[in-house]
Amino acid sequence: MPDPILIVDDLAVAYDGAVQALRGVSLRVDTGSVVAVLGSNGAGKTTLLRAISRSLGSVGGAVTAGTIRFEGEDLARRDTSWVVRAGLVQAPEGRRIFRDLTVEENLRAGGYTVRDAAARKEASERVYDLFPILAERRSQRGGLLSGGQQQMLAMGRALMTSPKLLLLDEPSLGLAPQLVEQIGDIIAQIHAQGTSVLLIEQNAAMGLRVADRAYVLEVGAVTAEGSSAELSATDDIRDRYLGVGTSEPAPTAPGEERAETTTGLQRSSTARAQQLRVEDLTVRFGGITALSDVSFTVEAGTIHALIGPNGAGKSTCINVLGGAYRATSGTVHYGDAVLSALPSHRIADLGVARTFQNISLSLEASVEDNLLVGRHRLMRTGTVSQALRLPRARREERAEREAVRRIAALLGIEDLLDRSVHTLSYGDRKRVEMGRALAAEPTLLLLDEPVAGMTHGESTVMADAIRAVQQELGLSVLLVEHDMPFVMGLAERVTVLDFGKHIAEGTPQDVQRDPEVLRAYLGTAAA
Amino acid sequence: MSYFLTQLANGLSYGLILGLIAVGFVIVFTSTGVLNFAHGSVLLTGAYLVAVLQDPIGFWAAVLVGIAGAALLGVLINAVLVRNLAEANPGTAAILMLGVDILLLTELTRRIGNRVLPIGAPWGADVVTFGGITLPTSRAIAAGLAVVVFGVLWFLFARTGAGVAMRAAAADGDTASLMGIRLTRTGAAGWALAGALAAIAGIFLASFPSPGIAPTLALTAFAAIPAWVLGGFDSVVGAIVGGLIIGVVTALAVGYESDLHFLGRGLGEVVPYAVMILVLLVRPSGLFGRQEAVRV
Amino acid sequence: MSDLLRRLPLALGVLVAALLPLLATDFWLQAGLFAMAAVVGAIGLTLLVGVAGQLSLGHAFFAALGAYTYAWTAGEIGGRAAGLGLPPVLALVLAGVVAALAGALFSPISGRLRGIYLGLATVGLVFLARHLMVNLETVTGGFNGRTVAPFAVPGFSFSNSDPDYVAVAGVEFEGLHRLWYLFLAVVLLAAWLGRNLKASRTGRALANVRDSEAAAAAMGVHVARAKVTAFVLSSAYAGIAGALMALAYGRIAPDLFGLQLSIDFLIMIVLGGVGSIAGAAAGATFVVLLPLVLVQYSSELPFLASPGSGGLEAATLARLLYAAAIIAVLLFLRGGLAGAASRLRHRRDHSPPDTGGPPPVPPPDSTDPAPAHPGVPPRSKETTS
Repeated sequence: MPDPILIVDDLAVAYDGAVQALRGVSLRVDTGSVVAVLGSNGAGKTTLLRAISRSLGSVGGAVTAGTIRFEGEDLARRDTSWVVRAGLVQAPEGRRIFRDLTVEENLRAGGYTVRDAAARKEASERVYDLFPILAERRSQRGGLLSGGQQQMLAMGRALMTSPKLLLLDEPSLGLAPQLVEQIGDIIAQIHAQGTSVLLIEQNAAMGLRVADRAYVLEVGAVTAEGSSAELSATDDIRDRYLGVGTSEPAPTAPGEERAETTTGLQRSSTARAQQLRVEDLTVRFGGITALSDVSFTVEAGTIHALIGPNGAGKSTCINVLGGAYRATSGTVHYGDAVLSALPSHRIADLGVARTFQNISLSLEASVEDNLLVGRHRLMRTGTVSQALRLPRARREERAEREAVRRIAALLGIEDLLDRSVHTLSYGDRKRVEMGRALAAEPTLLLLDEPVAGMTHGESTVMADAIRAVQQELGLSVLLVEHDMPFVMGLAERVTVLDFGKHIAEGTPQDVQRDPEVLRAYLGTAAA
Repeated sequence: MSYFLTQLANGLSYGLILGLIAVGFVIVFTSTGVLNFAHGSVLLTGAYLVAVLQDPIGFWAAVLVGIAGAALLGVLINAVLVRNLAEANPGTAAILMLGVDILLLTELTRRIGNRVLPIGAPWGADVVTFGGITLPTSRAIAAGLAVVVFGVLWFLFARTGAGVAMRAAAADGDTASLMGIRLTRTGAAGWALAGALAAIAGIFLASFPSPGIAPTLALTAFAAIPAWVLGGFDSVVGAIVGGLIIGVVTALAVGYESDLHFLGRGLGEVVPYAVMILVLLVRPSGLFGRQEAVRV
Repeated sequence: MSDLLRRLPLALGVLVAALLPLLATDFWLQAGLFAMAAVVGAIGLTLLVGVAGQLSLGHAFFAALGAYTYAWTAGEIGGRAAGLGLPPVLALVLAGVVAALAGALFSPISGRLRGIYLGLATVGLVFLARHLMVNLETVTGGFNGRTVAPFAVPGFSFSNSDPDYVAVAGVEFEGLHRLWYLFLAVVLLAAWLGRNLKASRTGRALANVRDSEAAAAAMGVHVARAKVTAFVLSSAYAGIAGALMALAYGRIAPDLFGLQLSIDFLIMIVLGGVGSIAGAAAGATFVVLLPLVLVQYSSELPFLASPGSGGLEAATLARLLYAAAIIAVLLFLRGGLAGAASRLRHRRDHSPPDTGGPPPVPPPDSTDPAPAHPGVPPRSKETTS
């Protein structure tokens, strides 16, 4: 058996002491091998890489148990700079090239730790050999490169130190299929030059094609491991990714449930859900097209899911609907209103409420105050009468606090109303954010990954709450989520995006069988 | 016409000195995210060291000590205070620097008292005249030297590994640290550079036509704030251009004050800020600042 | 019960403030007036900085505007500097209104810039203020400034005349005593309004804008308008504070309203704990009283030298202590005095502390391609909305 270059043993990582991101993760990378870690968004893959490259601190994470050894050396007391010098380099997710620096300067920054000018020159020549396009564009600013070229630059930058072990975080993210193929070939080439690779991938086919060995990470724990050949041979991964087998049953039958949990929520107006029509929506950031000609319709009063691999453009779509991003072209109609022409606060006034992928609450304020912000658009008293505490303002305040209490009860956070948000766990924060959106009495609810990072039990509670308010208040829900059992159990219709394009649409059952969807999630080999 | 050209030349040379100060603001801001309100007292410290040391060790040695001292002071402020903030965010860091500024300035004021310390520069109170333009020699040298310093800065940032690393760290610190770049080092380098630039600017600001060093010299750094803001908060080139604009506008406002008397006396003090506010009305992120997209 | 306990310090404070004039010397009465004027301004600034997360170094401008508006509108017609001869009560209200209007005029900038960027832009206002004060001589009296008409309501003057003699419990109530109660009433009103605002729909919207503009907008908050509202409210407070300063000094000149005043206001609220109204009051009192008390009692402090002797002077010591205090609070006392007090309270109650917060929790796998700045949360890197 060859020597291991990296051994991770029983690793646990937590963020801010509150959110457990990894539990008991063990893996090994043998010298000269390529190892892939597969898993969907929120599984803890990036956390794993950051733990290895000693860069958890800057995002508020810490290793709480376990060891990481690189070439036999315990990394517990080492920093990123030491690790890089020792020959272990991470190319971060989302490329993260220095946009204002030229290609050449990006490489220079990558080779910062290489003191010897000759060695640096040799390394950059090797990178230019590997990526001839970078040599052509060496004096162009990084921000002007296309997505694929940026990925090459990110990899080239990491190779500047001639590492012994290269950590790659989702190199295929947001790249078109032929480019994913090409990146795969390049990883094989890097490997052939003697560098060991630890690769994180959501594109299972690509990961399994280039790796000797793979681990599957789910909700912070390793749930499967084996040689690439073994893992490719089973349907296990497909089932995990697409939630096959969980499409049918809602956790509780709808009939019973209505009798059991009445929400006690009422609308203070007669607003009704409208049809949401997205037509030929295109969004470009700089040179990158995040969405291209996407069209779909959410019928009034239905639950509609938007799914797709990482980088498919789902969050971008939610952000355009909510008014945070501007559409480059195309229109979004909600009933008669044209959402794509309105600023966020006007969209909110139409009864569109949303949650955020990275929870966005006032941390120091109490849960109650955060929920009350949701009532903002429904409250009528002006600044002056509030400052003077006129009876009108006091009455309104009392009524709104009552309304917020009912919403908190529905989500099971009633006991937390007086706590400030920063003392809450991750799951509770997710619920508070959902509560804030519901407090706005929306007719259309946009949910960006409502159960990311939640346990199965927590996501079931969330699904029940969403279904209950949806039925009782007759609102429409558009949700983006990676937790497929959750999506398949909840959504009436599913739209699938890939590389910013609409690739499939239908009932959950249709979508799970669609070959295009299988290809998008699992890569070409699986289709 | 030659009056106009003389004012213009004065404005450009003053603008280049302001540029030296404004670039210091930019470098500290991009390398550590701190709005350095103590920049003025760092500048004064450097100039003060030159003034008190020129007698015992000679002017040129004193200049070296002054520049090194201001750089070291910057590094210490960062290492001892900024990095130990209980709550690290740009707002608290800015207020911390207000406190540091008061502390340093009070002590320097106590030492200087009511005196005006001569800087003792060999160029003295000479003036140079060419093509009908009259300029104090110190200002001519300052302009030439500032251009050289900017050239050195360009070389540093564009051609050396350390400079590229600083730019990378400024653009995306998290990713830069994945490349093995130590953010504590780039931060220290930023403060040292800013301190050194401030000391150089201070020496020239204390030279003729100014009588020497008084505590009010520290306020000049405030005059560089409009230059910095005008250029955009994170652009070195913007800071230089901003400095030139403010320098020229100030010199013309002072030079033609008698023709502009309807705008009131002491126009030179308010004009930089008026220009800044006007530019911000049109371009809130400054002339060279990047308008960043809101991310969710 | 616990509610009563919590209100006890406030009630005690008000009681002490109400009884103090019966005992205090003129020095302490005068110092108290300066402190109360500053408290009003500090409360206004803490609403802007603490609640809305916007920095301002321009408050000296609004204070000057309030002070001169009061002096001008209440000034005698045909006096040495011009006056409109309006009733002082109206002049006091106008001081707040004019400052608020000026704050509103600044809205194209205050609505678009955020955080420290707004702080830098507002530096310009201080220099603009000085230019106006020096040059609009007919109104301001130029460099030398102008006197300020005493406050009065019909039949009762807040100076030593009309009525000539008022006594309470055997203590003669002179102008300083009378002004003390006027100031106390304004301070209480300012604090009450501030507290109401903080806990209202507007206050919550401002806090939400501070923490995430995108989230606030998604909840229907008009972000730019919210920022403007905070700025205008805060300007009005500064205007009233300026008028009170004018009354306390009796004579105003441009030097009172320099950049240092803006910095003092900021340091007051940071010492006390940004966003806390009681903290703003405590910070303002400390910052105002420290130099006054040190200078007053310098002869009794052996280590202090008399002015001009070259040793450590009282004024210098006051500056050094003041700077050291703000640095120490920022390094060691998260959340200022108010933060420390609330931590103490909570330690007693054995419940989790309520101040300061850990950074936001990043999701385990963030797909955000945004480059982060070292030490700068991404939201602060955006200069505009």
